[in-house]
Amino acid sequence: MTAPHKALALQAEAPPSTPPAGLLRRWLAAFAWEPWALAAILLVAWQIAGNALAGEGNPLLPPPAVVFRALWDSLPELWRGTISSFLILLPGYGTALALGVALGLLSGTTPWLARAFFPFARVAAPIPPTVFIPYAIAVLPTFHLSATFVVFLGAFWPIFMNAASGAQAVEGRHRDNARVLGFSHFEYLYKVVFPASLPHIFAGMAVGLGFSFILLTVAELFGANAGLGRFVQYYADFADYPRMVAGILYTGAVTWAAMTLLDKLRHRALFWLR
Amino acid sequence: MTEHRRTDTRHAEAPAGQAREHSLRIERLNFAYGDTPILRGIDLHVREGEFLALLGPSGSGKSTLLRLIAGLESPTAGRLDASGRPVSGPGTDRAVVFQHYALFPWMTVVDNVAEAVAKAHPRLPRSERRARALKQLERVGLGEVGGNHPFELSGGMQQRAAIARALALESPFLLMDEPFGALDPINRAKLQDLLIEVWQGSTPRRTVVFVTHDVDEALLLADRIAVMGATPGRIIAEHSVPFARPRQRAALFKDAGFHRLREEIAEALDADTLAHLEAA
Repeated sequence: MTAPHKALALQAEAPPSTPPAGLLRRWLAAFAWEPWALAAILLVAWQIAGNALAGEGNPLLPPPAVVFRALWDSLPELWRGTISSFLILLPGYGTALALGVALGLLSGTTPWLARAFFPFARVAAPIPPTVFIPYAIAVLPTFHLSATFVVFLGAFWPIFMNAASGAQAVEGRHRDNARVLGFSHFEYLYKVVFPASLPHIFAGMAVGLGFSFILLTVAELFGANAGLGRFVQYYADFADYPRMVAGILYTGAVTWAAMTLLDKLRHRALFWLR
Repeated sequence: MTEHRRTDTRHAEAPAGQAREHSLRIERLNFAYGDTPILRGIDLHVREGEFLALLGPSGSGKSTLLRLIAGLESPTAGRLDASGRPVSGPGTDRAVVFQHYALFPWMTVVDNVAEAVAKAHPRLPRSERRARALKQLERVGLGEVGGNHPFELSGGMQQRAAIARALALESPFLLMDEPFGALDPINRAKLQDLLIEVWQGSTPRRTVVFVTHDVDEALLLADRIAVMGATPGRIIAEHSVPFARPRQRAALFKDAGFHRLREEIAEALDADTLAHLEAA
């Protein structure tokens, strides 16, 4: 074997040999203090603003300590709300993902499907999906079904559009190779077009996930009896601002967690781009 | 857009008793992109088991001619037969190695080669496909990196893997489009030797069409050289390469006949370039 082969084999087998102290130093070196400093400033500003706005009895902007107390007390209820929300989010988003990727890749590789879908998509995609919410709630038999449908609508178009443009952007050399290797059209779709389009698909998934959360919470404001958006709406009726702010913070944290998970997934799936 | 037609004319599938002759016959072939002529009046015959080099400057359409033979483009006029049948699209009887190591980056090296094994032997179980793919990789000196992904390999190693994948198709034709053009001189020499070794080592020998702009490479590898001129691309000369095999690079470079042929081809190329400069 030549030298590069050996080097490669060794690299693959070598155990992580960094001592813990070095690891700590590296972590400290990579530590970004700026966001923490900003968080501290915001907390102080929040406290000061809360004090300034404090009227008789019910403060309009509850100070951080009160909000975190409310958050702690509401955790069981918020957790039940999270489950209720995800029972809408997951089926809606999942269906949008499956259909969006399948139809997107097909339209991106089949000229007549592209001709059929793209003009339609250009008209239908920009309609803000929120305007469908009252109609869906009025027409569909259950709230769960209408909310799921609206979440689906919000996630479908960005995923579809991105999958289609990913399929159209498959490099010529990959297409040539699939052809000279005698791939069938189906093989070409799932062995070449799908992996080659993954960077686009993940971009569409991130946009779609953002839309999904917006639509989910907006739909819940309308007519849910549980869920994250419903939590905030419910305590608004009692003017319980600490719980409302706690609900907003919690929803932010859940959205952030979902986005982070998606980003980790993307990083893993696209290892070959690094 | 993409069409995936398959024309299966591999050795194994020829009906018994009437074995096909795996030769290429090209007659009065024209090719144009819209109104721009790229190739005009190409006449070329490649015998079974022959190693033909298509030599020419950039713009002579040599890569386009290879893509036409591969079935990736369709001629505007003329005849193009492989194994006695008109080429109507890409087929697994004609393996192709492109200049830019065109492995699929999301598959491991061995999986890349196993895709070709699967086409040569559709009924083979997955594990056996991988075993055969690994054997092909060993043949090109890559037995140890099969589990790696292409981005972990150097350019030379990726091109070895691309050659292994082309060999794994077990096709009677091997089409190569400047396969070593992007490699450093040392790797290029190594891969040239490897190519000749596997080509001479297999029976029956594959019919090879090898595109290059390097006169020395053509003289070292080929049985015959078709020299192409530019604008539009056409064949301006054909030369047999008389040197006995196996050819030693060092001995060849000392041979007077080698230098005579080299001069002759270089002059033909220069004359063609000059004629164009004067016309312009």
